Amino acid sequence: MVRSSGMLGEDGIHVDMNHLKTGEVNMAITFCDGVILGADSRTTTGAYIANRVTDKLTQVHDTIWCCRSGSAADTQAVADIVSYHLGLYGVMHEEGPTTQTAAGLFQELCYDNKDRLSAGMIIAGYDQRNGGNVYSIPLGGSLHKQPYAIGGSGSTYIYGYCDSYWKEGMSEEEGIGFVKGALREAIKWDGSSGGVIRLVVLTNKGAVRHLYLPDQGYKGPGKGA
Amino acid sequence: MASSLIADPTSSSHNLYSFSPSDQTASDIRQHSFYPYTDNGGSTLGITGNDFAILAGDTRSTSGYSINSRYAPKVYRIGGEDETGEGAHIVLSLVGYAADGTALQERLNTVVKMYKYQHGKRMTVKACAQRLATILYSKRFFPYYVQAILAGLDEDGRGALYSYDPVGSYEREQCRAAGAAASLIMPFLDNQVNFKNQYMPGSGEGHDLHAKQAEPLPRQEVERLVKDAFTSATERHIEVGDGLQMLIVTAKGVEETFYPLKRD
Amino acid sequence: MPGFDFSNHNRNAALHAQGVPLPKATSTGTTIVGCIFDGGVVIAADTRATSGPIVADKNCEKLHYIAPQIWCAGAGTAADTEFTTALISSNLELHSLSTGRKPRVVTVMTMLKQHLFRYQGYIGAYLVVAGVDPTGVGLFTVHAHGSTDKLPYVTMGSGSLAAMAVFETQWKQKLTREEAIKLTSDAIQAGIFNDLGSGSNVDVCVITKDMTTMMRNYIKPNQREQKQKSYKFPRGTTAVLNEKIITKEEISKYVTVQELSSDDDVVVVEKMDIDQ
Repeated sequence: MVRSSGMLGEDGIHVDMNHLKTGEVNMAITFCDGVILGADSRTTTGAYIANRVTDKLTQVHDTIWCCRSGSAADTQAVADIVSYHLGLYGVMHEEGPTTQTAAGLFQELCYDNKDRLSAGMIIAGYDQRNGGNVYSIPLGGSLHKQPYAIGGSGSTYIYGYCDSYWKEGMSEEEGIGFVKGALREAIKWDGSSGGVIRLVVLTNKGAVRHLYLPDQGYKGPGKGA
Repeated sequence: MASSLIADPTSSSHNLYSFSPSDQTASDIRQHSFYPYTDNGGSTLGITGNDFAILAGDTRSTSGYSINSRYAPKVYRIGGEDETGEGAHIVLSLVGYAADGTALQERLNTVVKMYKYQHGKRMTVKACAQRLATILYSKRFFPYYVQAILAGLDEDGRGALYSYDPVGSYEREQCRAAGAAASLIMPFLDNQVNFKNQYMPGSGEGHDLHAKQAEPLPRQEVERLVKDAFTSATERHIEVGDGLQMLIVTAKGVEETFYPLKRD
Repeated sequence: MPGFDFSNHNRNAALHAQGVPLPKATSTGTTIVGCIFDGGVVIAADTRATSGPIVADKNCEKLHYIAPQIWCAGAGTAADTEFTTALISSNLELHSLSTGRKPRVVTVMTMLKQHLFRYQGYIGAYLVVAGVDPTGVGLFTVHAHGSTDKLPYVTMGSGSLAAMAVFETQWKQKLTREEAIKLTSDAIQAGIFNDLGSGSNVDVCVITKDMTTMMRNYIKPNQREQKQKSYKFPRGTTAVLNEKIITKEEISKYVTVQELSSDDDVVVVEKMDIDQ
């Protein structure tokens, strides 16, 4: 009895303002000991913030994670499927999956279903064989191995920042500073990015989460939060 | 309404995908559209008696699923001496687009006042009704987006009520409901004021049964009917509620009553 | 400093050039909320169902049973919330029987999101899933397109903004059971009074480790007062055009006839909530 009005435009094109959008800004970088992923925490429905503390850094294996941007439903579904396959791979092989394997799975899903998905993914992971690696899969489903990757609408504001501050083989402290600095800039200029900054540091010691709150000037509480 | 400014989509001869540069010529005619109206909901109601007329309206103003105001009057005094409407002998209710409602009320009020200043006598309700129709029709192609009900006492001192469509078509009636819940209230009025579908018990068999004859109701009875109409409309229509305002015209002048309605 | 998102500009301009009107934001009339507290979770809902601007049901139930310790509040298309929750409840019971374990809130959430994602938003169910399972307390939102969120307090439906305003100003960490019930019912009332799509009463469901308490019509802030007039018509008011008498013996062939002692004797076959 409670009806929402039609979801189709006059020509049958699907136009729905209520689609949840996530990942307004996110990034992943390589550094000397592994990789660092970072993202803001805003999920929006039109102008409304549906979730201000979203976790867009999603684990798909022990030390393989991804940053989700685009449709919340699409990216969660893709990450769930990849997570299932990597879990199976993990128990069926002597060695865990590599980041490249995970990125390949992501690409296959994103490329084969490119007409149905609006999912922009960054995959970052650490494995014994290849160390830290970052892959980017933009909207069409292409796969790019990169020293660092940025994504989401807010990323347009930080191309210049990243280009001028990027250094190959940074220390962990430098890496965190680089990612945090870039995300702060994107949140500052992009209206659809905001909330807290979440980081995940992936090294041979495993995964460590960081949290930085806006009311503490994105300085804390930091590691392990 | 006569205000659809959107181009006919079927007349466009564009390709399905308009990104190709070929169809972006300088001579391309593009029609922009602008829709200046909004529906502010609410409902109004008017009933006349032998020596009185009642105009009522709820005081909620809405847009979409939001409440703009819980007290925004839809009933006005026309031809009063000052901004309080003191001394007025005609009442007007306007429901639909609230901004047009205020504008129209101000305009008619000015006209009725000017009439008194120029002719040295009060405008009759009949004349005022005709003038309102003229004002509405003067904007035939950019209408005041309102349903109006005008009420007062006629030359014989009997209750008079006129109802209008947005472009000035009008008629004198016994009772009328307008606005969002008009379709809920009007059948109730037909049955309770004009006794439609009511027959005199035991007055005949089958088709020979005599219909109950309508007669003007006493004031207290009408006030009760108005309250019940609005509390019932509040139950079933989401845009009706908050408060019920009534203006009652008698030979003594205009009385006002207020009655709170449910606020959900 | 605000920024602008122009990512859809080209597409929208192309659509507009073809005469497609601007899309209308779809809205659904309901307020549903959920909030976790020390030792459990509470969900609540209003009881108004609408079709367009008309109130279709003044006292409907929007809190749906999934499992004894898992309940769901639904907004959106009424039929979709009803059937989706019933389907998942059924499948969950079978799953619980085959695994021999108590059902978990994450399982419900996953089943719901996979079902809704498959239908790409065409099943208009917006849900708040809450419960207590062997792993602890769970509270999630599931959107019609299949996305999920995990938060300590959630709101959904057309009244979600009004309700969230209450949570964002009053919520604190470590709530007692009573505080949580007060907070959620205040959030629902904010929706009832400020959102036209929501109205009537407040339903509340409290789930703890030991038990589930369903409080139907926990608050009734919108009772209708006595009407001014009686609308009882004298017998014979309605015209009777023809009449046919069916004898008791005749009708007894088709239905059970029960003899009443007097005219005032009333037999209630089934009770219904109606106006007096």
